[in-house]
Amino acid sequence: MHDFFFRRIFCAGALALCAVNAFAAELQSTKFEQEVLDDTALEQALSQSPAWLALLHINRGATMHSRGESYVDDPKFFLSADGQTDRLSELQATIRLLRPDGAIERCRFPARYRFLASELGWQGAEPFAHCADYLQWRNSIPSGRAVLVFPASYLNSPSSMFGHTLLRLDSSDAPDTVWQSWAVNFGAVTTEKDNSLLYVYRGLAGGYPGRFVIVPYVTKVQEYSHLENRDIWEYSLDLTDVERARMIDHLWELQEINFDYYFFDENCSFRLLELLDVARPGSGLIEGFRFAEVPVNTVRTLYDQSMVSERIYRPSKAVLLQADIDALTTQEQRLVKALLDDPAVASGDAFMAFSPQRRHLMARTAYKTLRLRERKHVRNEKVASTGFALLRVMSANAYEEEVEVAPPSPPESGHGTQMIGGGGGQLESSDFGELYYRFTYHDLIDNNRGFLKGAQIEGLDFRFRSTESDTLKLESADIIHIRSLAPRNRFIKPISWYVHGGLERAMAGDRKRLVRFVQGGAGASWRLGLMQPFALATVRLENNSVYSPLAEGGGGANIGALWYLEHAQINTSVEGLYFGNDEYRHRWKVDVNLPINRQNGIRFGWQRDGWRGDAENSVSVAWRHYFD
Amino acid sequence: MKKAIIAAALLGSSLGAHAEAPGGPGCGWGNMLFDGQSGLPMHLLATIVNGTSGNATFGMTTGTNGCSTSGSLSYSGKSLLAMNGVLEEVAMDMAAGQGEALTALSVSMGVPTADRAHFNAVMHDNFAVIFDSESVTAGEVADSIAAVMKKDQKLAQFI
Repeated sequence: MHDFFFRRIFCAGALALCAVNAFAAELQSTKFEQEVLDDTALEQALSQSPAWLALLHINRGATMHSRGESYVDDPKFFLSADGQTDRLSELQATIRLLRPDGAIERCRFPARYRFLASELGWQGAEPFAHCADYLQWRNSIPSGRAVLVFPASYLNSPSSMFGHTLLRLDSSDAPDTVWQSWAVNFGAVTTEKDNSLLYVYRGLAGGYPGRFVIVPYVTKVQEYSHLENRDIWEYSLDLTDVERARMIDHLWELQEINFDYYFFDENCSFRLLELLDVARPGSGLIEGFRFAEVPVNTVRTLYDQSMVSERIYRPSKAVLLQADIDALTTQEQRLVKALLDDPAVASGDAFMAFSPQRRHLMARTAYKTLRLRERKHVRNEKVASTGFALLRVMSANAYEEEVEVAPPSPPESGHGTQMIGGGGGQLESSDFGELYYRFTYHDLIDNNRGFLKGAQIEGLDFRFRSTESDTLKLESADIIHIRSLAPRNRFIKPISWYVHGGLERAMAGDRKRLVRFVQGGAGASWRLGLMQPFALATVRLENNSVYSPLAEGGGGANIGALWYLEHAQINTSVEGLYFGNDEYRHRWKVDVNLPINRQNGIRFGWQRDGWRGDAENSVSVAWRHYFD
Repeated sequence: MKKAIIAAALLGSSLGAHAEAPGGPGCGWGNMLFDGQSGLPMHLLATIVNGTSGNATFGMTTGTNGCSTSGSLSYSGKSLLAMNGVLEEVAMDMAAGQGEALTALSVSMGVPTADRAHFNAVMHDNFAVIFDSESVTAGEVADSIAAVMKKDQKLAQFI
């Protein structure tokens, strides 16, 4: 109903825009009374035009909050008292205040001024001559190219799989360095006093204002590429000079302006789409309903609108280090490790036996390792002196070329964010059918094209089962299931971990019951060719009405291995848990995923569940379809 | 005046205020080092704010990790060096004789493309002069770079 209503307004606005120029021409010759009438009609038409709706950030039905009104939650942004809800009144106030030469409000709203001036035929050689601050700012902002920057997921942080998007403004089409560029970022404005839990809650519930900020891009490179070790994907946007100028002018209008910030829909990615909609009004970028705007879908939308002209991959520091490590022989790797312990090794015979280029590469690998390892620690004399010594070794030995890193599959080539599926199987001698739905996003063996291997984040994952004797019943519901299996090597030793919480049918008391549980663990993982073994210590807390007083706690281990083959992904594992009430459980599993194409896959499973006194085996096959 | 402050904040820099020495205290070489935020809660937080870690969400205060960003508006060589992590990057590139950080530095000093290879070579040859100790600060490095360039026939004009 709402959707329909607003789409109609939207269409009316588009039609009206076509009539605007005709109105403007007529205005010259008509009588005063007629002019007033036409003015009103013209204003009405303008107030519905896509450009005006974009400039005011009117919700045209894309998200649920306050449809038909502006997303901006800040009186500073409106010139009319009811500007947030009344676009016509805001337009009239804007016309009234911006029209006079030398109007101070022009300095705050240059994009609105340019829009009205062009639609209403306002003349003026230098409309912003009196706006020194704006002009100074405007001249300092590069406008040669706009690039959508997508920092992808990073090792050991599955939550980063959702990604982030920001906009980069370059001085030219082919800048010598992007370090001189500016980053336009939309994020929640938080206060450092808030504790973690409150932060999460308010982030989800919309308790923080969101703002656009512009910072030197180099700070973002440092943050993402170095500090967080994220690969960065850059998508050059095919915008005209005029479109870029309009967007930058509008950014000025958004300085210090608060939006509501909602993690799911009105987030960084959605706001960037709105910004691009200002650049190219009526582009269709924010048409339709966009609940849960996942950043990668923003990238897909830009491709759909043919707005991407080039894609560049910028590997993280960890990826670059890995490339260096891979280029070393085992003997050289040992020397790197020795260098890290004591840089004086560099003057020893074993090290000096290598060519200067190899010595350079070894010292460089050691230095990069040190940087990666120490990136989150405070300064320490020993590290500083080791790092310094390694740099001297590098500079004393001839340069060895950086190893070229081949780009992995880009994030937009990955499977859809939601999944539905159906399947069936056999539990001991009885058959069952199953239905699946997962709201988000990726598990360890879903098609990993465009995703990080060894990382999983699932939210709201449901499994329903019907058996010969029973109708469809909830078999399990994962509220959250995050796994991070980060391989260790000679130089970097990350911890693998997981958290898992939800409901599942488990042996509780005398029979299977739906239990509520939270479970988590930590351990290690390694990469051995195509195989990635892991071992995790596990603790679990489980609640059901049969437990007295309330919950049962247990601990154990989860050991297994992942295989990433060319046409299949396999997860084999065994988990054993011992509970406080002297019960125990163990589960053996083999899951094989065969991707058919980007959005479809087949999954085979074998599982053996055991508990004190009994055990059962099941096999299953399922079709999984990804979408959105 | 208020507008000027807003403009400065929006640009992540402090327009008029150069009171703080480039680099600021605690921003020295080997400052490998930020007070990082890690662990599971921070991962979740990062997700909530769409991947921007706590400090960065303020946007305007890019220098909250101990490095001043004074003057970053003009991106002069000094202020670039004063940014978090950049000094280490520049040091590595100088030791290697090339790299993105070194290119950025030369661009910020106004060295044209044609002279960039020469700039890189001079910086590489003088690595030990410019980074003469492990406790050198961004300000000292900037001064040393200027001194080295002044002595070079081609590069002197860019100082």
